[in-house]
Amino acid sequence: MIDPSAPGDVIRLDGVTKTYQADSAPALADLSMGVTAGEVVAVMGPSGSGKSTLLNLIAGLDRPTAGTVTVAGRRIDTLGESALARFRARHIGIIFQFFNLLDDLTVEDNVLLPAQLAGASRRQARARADELLERMGIEEFRNAYPARMSGGQRQRVAIARALVNNPAVLLADEPTGALDTATGQEIGRLLRRLNEGGQTLVLVTHDPELAERYAARTVRIVDGRLAGAPAGVYR
Amino acid sequence: MRHKVQAVVIAMVLLVSTASATLGLALLAASDAPFQHAFAAQDGAHLTLTVNPARAGAGQLASTRTLHGVAAMAGPFAEATVQSQWSGQPFGQLTLVGRSSPGGPVDDAVLTAGHWVTGPGQIVLDGPSGGGGPLVGSTITVTGLPHAVNLTVVGFANSVTYSADGWVAPSQVASLQPPGTPASAELLYRFASAGTAAQVRADLAEVTGALPPGTVTGSGSWLAAESQNTGNGAIMEPFVIAFALIGLAMAVLIVANVVSGAVAAGYYRIGVLKSIGLTPAQVVVAYLSRVGWPALAGCVLGVVAGNVLAIPVLHQSAGAYGVGSQSVPWWASVIAPAGMLALTVLAAFAPALRAGRLSATQAIAAGRAPNAGRGYAMHRLAARLRLPRPVGLGLAAPFARPGRTLVTLAAIAFGATAVIFAFGLRASLDRAAASQSLSATVPVQIQQNGPGGGPNQVPTAQQDAAVTAALNDYPATAHQTTVYENQVKVPGVAGSANAWAFSGDSSWLGYGIIAGRWYDAPGQVDVNTAFLNASGLAIGDTATINTGTAQVTVRIVGEVFHPSSYPTVFGSTHTLPGLATPENVMYWDVGLRPGTSTAGYVQAVNHTLGSDSPWAATTHKDGGQFYTVAISLIGLLALMVAIAAGLGVLNTVLMTTRDRVHDLGVFKALGMRPGQLLTMVVCWVVGPAVVAGAIAAPAAMALNTATVNAMAGTAHTGVPAFFTQVFPPSRLALLSLAALVLAVAGALAPASWAARARPAVALRTE
Repeated sequence: MIDPSAPGDVIRLDGVTKTYQADSAPALADLSMGVTAGEVVAVMGPSGSGKSTLLNLIAGLDRPTAGTVTVAGRRIDTLGESALARFRARHIGIIFQFFNLLDDLTVEDNVLLPAQLAGASRRQARARADELLERMGIEEFRNAYPARMSGGQRQRVAIARALVNNPAVLLADEPTGALDTATGQEIGRLLRRLNEGGQTLVLVTHDPELAERYAARTVRIVDGRLAGAPAGVYR
Repeated sequence: MRHKVQAVVIAMVLLVSTASATLGLALLAASDAPFQHAFAAQDGAHLTLTVNPARAGAGQLASTRTLHGVAAMAGPFAEATVQSQWSGQPFGQLTLVGRSSPGGPVDDAVLTAGHWVTGPGQIVLDGPSGGGGPLVGSTITVTGLPHAVNLTVVGFANSVTYSADGWVAPSQVASLQPPGTPASAELLYRFASAGTAAQVRADLAEVTGALPPGTVTGSGSWLAAESQNTGNGAIMEPFVIAFALIGLAMAVLIVANVVSGAVAAGYYRIGVLKSIGLTPAQVVVAYLSRVGWPALAGCVLGVVAGNVLAIPVLHQSAGAYGVGSQSVPWWASVIAPAGMLALTVLAAFAPALRAGRLSATQAIAAGRAPNAGRGYAMHRLAARLRLPRPVGLGLAAPFARPGRTLVTLAAIAFGATAVIFAFGLRASLDRAAASQSLSATVPVQIQQNGPGGGPNQVPTAQQDAAVTAALNDYPATAHQTTVYENQVKVPGVAGSANAWAFSGDSSWLGYGIIAGRWYDAPGQVDVNTAFLNASGLAIGDTATINTGTAQVTVRIVGEVFHPSSYPTVFGSTHTLPGLATPENVMYWDVGLRPGTSTAGYVQAVNHTLGSDSPWAATTHKDGGQFYTVAISLIGLLALMVAIAAGLGVLNTVLMTTRDRVHDLGVFKALGMRPGQLLTMVVCWVVGPAVVAGAIAAPAAMALNTATVNAMAGTAHTGVPAFFTQVFPPSRLALLSLAALVLAVAGALAPASWAARARPAVALRTE
């Protein structure tokens, strides 16, 4: 059983319930869990189990119906939309299954965007983007448009974009789900290298191999609850 | 939810467009021969006869009803011609007719305000109410009687042929008859043939011949009223037509954009429908019906709204045209909704047909994103500019959908043109009104308010001299000029011309100069446009004028703004000898020293002149009813066009937010704050708005100049250049912002909706 106030938790959910419609079953029910700084946690479960809802709540993209969500020492379930957006820009990086790159922006402009929205100086943002493009091995594509790139390349752009503001937490929603096996493994290795650098990572995946190979810990969600744990509690 | 919003927007756009189209068609119909239509609807009198009832018995008068060619007859109605005052100031000579009801077989007087007289002490005035004149409840005092009679204004009515200045209870007329004047009555006739002056003359001769000699003391032909009224109405036509066409064009544009956009936005759903087995034909039908129902609802509500809106607008235009009432023709209520519905189907048909031909997967792909590749360069450029990122993203966005952007730009441009044009036209009309009435320079006029002491009740030279002396006595009098008028002969001008002669210095009067200058020496005259047209002369030419007592040669030095089809010449009493006689005095124009109270001055002068004087001072009003009505009509029309343009923008932004809902979710997920997103979405329309403003400003200037010139042309006059020079650069720049205001106002609501949307919801939505 976890201590909800365990020191070092960079993500903490306490008694979180999320209901989309009043008369339907909750997508998440009284869920509590924590993630420590520098940890890689894989979240697994069948379709519709509530994995993406959990990720949305941690990212502040949605609000819980009940319970509290604390990320990087800040309770985010009570923040207004502007404060949430500001928080997201500074502390959260998100990688999506289908990349969600903006097709009308170049690779470089996609990577720069979160920094620009967060108000970083041009020089700082550009230096960080240069560094990340190089780290991701896509610096030669900086002026290319995402639509003309392979899935693996696009996901690297998405990772660079997610990291541009040095987020405390990196959230990845099925990061290899739209990639072939080899490319998926390549992305997996990239994520592991990031974690080795100290990056906290929450990985939502269907792929047991990905979870097993790259995550230090795996939590399973079934019908909105953590599987194999007493109601509402898991570490 | 978005589908509901889309349906509501389609319904709203069609509501406004159909209402605009209905109103536009109604206005076009109203501007088409308004007098002729009103004359037929109100059974106007072809001939108005004034008779002496002492010369013919009631039976004899009534028997004229059966004369050959007489189609209908009304009367005799007792009448009295009286002097009047309103608010303590002269209100002029009024012909008051006793009629117990406004209707009848001839000359239906249409009530435009209040009610008909129900007994003595009441009066219904001819013409529209307002415009700075009396209102219902005002009191008109009949003077020149042993005891002044007060009449309460209970209504306003329109007689299409001006059969009276006002109507009172029949029993009231006797008490209004000035002592010593013979009784008088009015007969109104409609004839089988009265289309030409010759036919009317023949009709008059037949009626006159059937009555004892001396019975008929006066007559009025409907052709005179037609001539005057057609002139008034024609002045309105250019701007009414301009607004109607702008409204119609924009309605067509917006509906086409909305409907085709709505169908294109539904491609994803079309793909899904096809994947479950719908045939191409079924898809087309499904999508036509998808936009068809909200469109139908919008059209039906729109035609109702158009009819409701038309009530005040047509009431005003009827006042300006000088006719009793105007209504929306039945065909406008059919053509407008049917046309808009047909346009909707047509606009929806092409994209629906395309959707029907696409494969399911193609339709799904087409419904998810705009064509790839468009607008990328602009995004690249915007990223390099030192602009806040949301601003750069917003400014570059329109290039992804150039077609939609062009339509939006056109809608904003039409709306802004209408707004700038309305401001300009209003300013031009204000200048025309001030120039025509000289209200800016001549605050006070001395007008005849009662019978004079000379033959035919003309004021005597002594009575005139008393006015000049009274004006000279007041130090507040800065200028005074006696204005004389009479007809003169000018070789080359058919018939006769009007001559206005001014005593002393007249340069201060401030007549609007179209070309040349105001005269400043004997032997020089100014003329109106009609004079130049009639004589074929030009500025700088000489003309010979026969004033009746002398023949003089004058040089034309200027063309003045004096809207009239009658040739008129303006000069000093020295240049036009023989005009400065008591019989020809029209009025005195008076200019006051700065700081003088006009009302106080008028009161003081009238006190000095005394109640026995035929002359009285009066405050000089502005340009009159036409300008008041025209200006308020312009405001209403511009507002409607602006609302339609704003709705067009709202719809475009709504469609774009719908297209880009997933991208908006991504922006939010990356940390874009609601304020930044609002800024970005509003910036989608800023670029098109700036271009639209740049197009609208010169377009409105050109439209204003063309409209003012067309209006002036129908009023038989040119216009001074300053009438159309109403757009100094600073004002034009400010007015151009109308495009930005319209665009931002239209974009703000959907931008706010987008900014408020939860990112998780937006990301889920595709």
